[in-house]
Amino acid sequence: MTEVLKATHLESAHRGLARVWIEFESGLAQVPVIARLLSGRLRIEDYRSLLFNLRQQVVDGGRWISRAASHLEHEELRSLFIRHAAAEHRDYSMLEDNYVAAGGKREAIRGGVKNIGSEALSAFMFHAASQANPVGMLGAMFVIEGLGNRMAGPWAEAIRAQLALGEDAVSFLAYHGENDEDHLAMFDRALAMVVTDAVTATSVVRHARIVARLYRLQLEELDNV
Amino acid sequence: MRAYVTGSGQFLPGEPVSNAAMVDYIGRLSPQAERLGRLTLRRNGIRSRHYAMRSDGTTDWTLAKLGAAALDDLFGRSGLDRREVGYLATATTQNDLMVPGLASGLHAASGLPPLEIASLQSVCASAMMALKSAALQVSAGEHAAALAVGAEFSSRYFRPGHYHGTAAMNTDGTLPGDAEFLRWTLSDGAAGVLVEDSPAPHGLSLRIDWISLRSFADRFAPCMTGGGVADGQGGLIPWSHFPTIAEAAQAGAFQLRQDVEALHRMLPVWLGELMRLVDEGRVDPTGVDHFLCHFSARSLRDEMVAQARKAGCLIPEERWFTNLYEKGNVGAASLFLLLDDLLRSGQLTAGQKVLCAVPESGQCVMAYAMMTVVDGEEA
Repeated sequence: MTEVLKATHLESAHRGLARVWIEFESGLAQVPVIARLLSGRLRIEDYRSLLFNLRQQVVDGGRWISRAASHLEHEELRSLFIRHAAAEHRDYSMLEDNYVAAGGKREAIRGGVKNIGSEALSAFMFHAASQANPVGMLGAMFVIEGLGNRMAGPWAEAIRAQLALGEDAVSFLAYHGENDEDHLAMFDRALAMVVTDAVTATSVVRHARIVARLYRLQLEELDNV
Repeated sequence: MRAYVTGSGQFLPGEPVSNAAMVDYIGRLSPQAERLGRLTLRRNGIRSRHYAMRSDGTTDWTLAKLGAAALDDLFGRSGLDRREVGYLATATTQNDLMVPGLASGLHAASGLPPLEIASLQSVCASAMMALKSAALQVSAGEHAAALAVGAEFSSRYFRPGHYHGTAAMNTDGTLPGDAEFLRWTLSDGAAGVLVEDSPAPHGLSLRIDWISLRSFADRFAPCMTGGGVADGQGGLIPWSHFPTIAEAAQAGAFQLRQDVEALHRMLPVWLGELMRLVDEGRVDPTGVDHFLCHFSARSLRDEMVAQARKAGCLIPEERWFTNLYEKGNVGAASLFLLLDDLLRSGQLTAGQKVLCAVPESGQCVMAYAMMTVVDGEEA
């Protein structure tokens, strides 16, 4: 019976995460920069602005993941977070390279500050990562990894096609499009490890919902610093 | 809700048309177009369908007549006299006329007495709109008996004469994928159900437990369209905004189109609706005996199946009830064709749960309905 209940909680978490993702992904079409991308109207200024704004938040990625790791009780999960932090903590430099390849100045992107959406997203990540045993952060990771796995590849292709850019200008998105699939399989295993009760299932889904909304806010508030 | 499907009927014109013979009905454009057609058929799995158009491009049929033939079949097997019906809701993608609505045309052709009507026009989900309006009318006590009828006559739009001389046609005789795809997907027919405020006195009826229909046009651009031309900015110019009718026709405004890529982006949203209903306790996937789904299981990508399984939302394929491969995709008539075939199948027993699913790619609609099999003699 306990195993059956565990399976029910895990299914419920998967269902909740899938619903968060579907709402997030389909709703992105309402964000102006994504609407322009999807309908083939993206301008180079849009893309530079996207890279500029993402960089200011991605630069914190390795930090919130490792902070969460330091608070996790579950050893396997901690190990996963540590590996993840190590793999991603220098990704922001790819964004800087892409920005330069797309015609931007390196000093500019390095000297930038977060837009108000990125501030909210980053603040939530550090806040949630600072809690005792923050297993709900798996939900945050689900959204960020999902962006890489499901959206980054098609976006990279569409951006290249619309703006006639070289691979060196879209490598951040292209890299995440190619590599995050393994991360998602790893994510499924992690979820199965930790979601053994309703409270954890709810917490994971709730973190995903918050991060999805704040990520969208970041895209809605491009350049609003 | 207190509403029961107590009868059903269908009409499919002519003999079944095989994949090899279908091009004689929709007409030949070019060998390249037929190659894309064969690819489309491999994907949708349809093996035969019916056309209201003869192979020489002429017809005696209209949507209204097809719908009336389906009602003749329905009343030929129902205990209710058609003079007892108080409400008629129709569903179609494109009516015979732009004005007035199909319900008027069908009423005129059907031998029904003066009654309340509603013409629902959308794409496939218009069937669910019609069924829900009929169920609510009955449930509210406004009428004791109501009809919901879906009818399609798509083949008439697919004849070569509707493409030649328009901007859509390439010099080599091919159409863009979004225009060609539907020629090999949609076909003709009509079907409907009778909805009453109590089960039929004899035999099995379907109690309509609930119907859920939601539009996601807030986040999807038009995906299956007719009557407009892309403006190059992600929007559509309606045919009536062209200076002349000839210019609108030349630009291809009157052609049906399906953005197949956008359709694939809608699949998760359709599945998400099922997850919502599971979370709300309205669907127990293990308790569904017959899943009537207006798209084929094989159109789901592996990733979606895996996602549904992880989320405890996968209805085992042996419980999927389909007639798509033999009767084709008949748009707004498909839901009623499925219900009619299920009611005739001999597979139903009292107490079973029937879940119907009708997605619409038009601008993204997803509808689900839950029904319970009841035995009139026991009720």
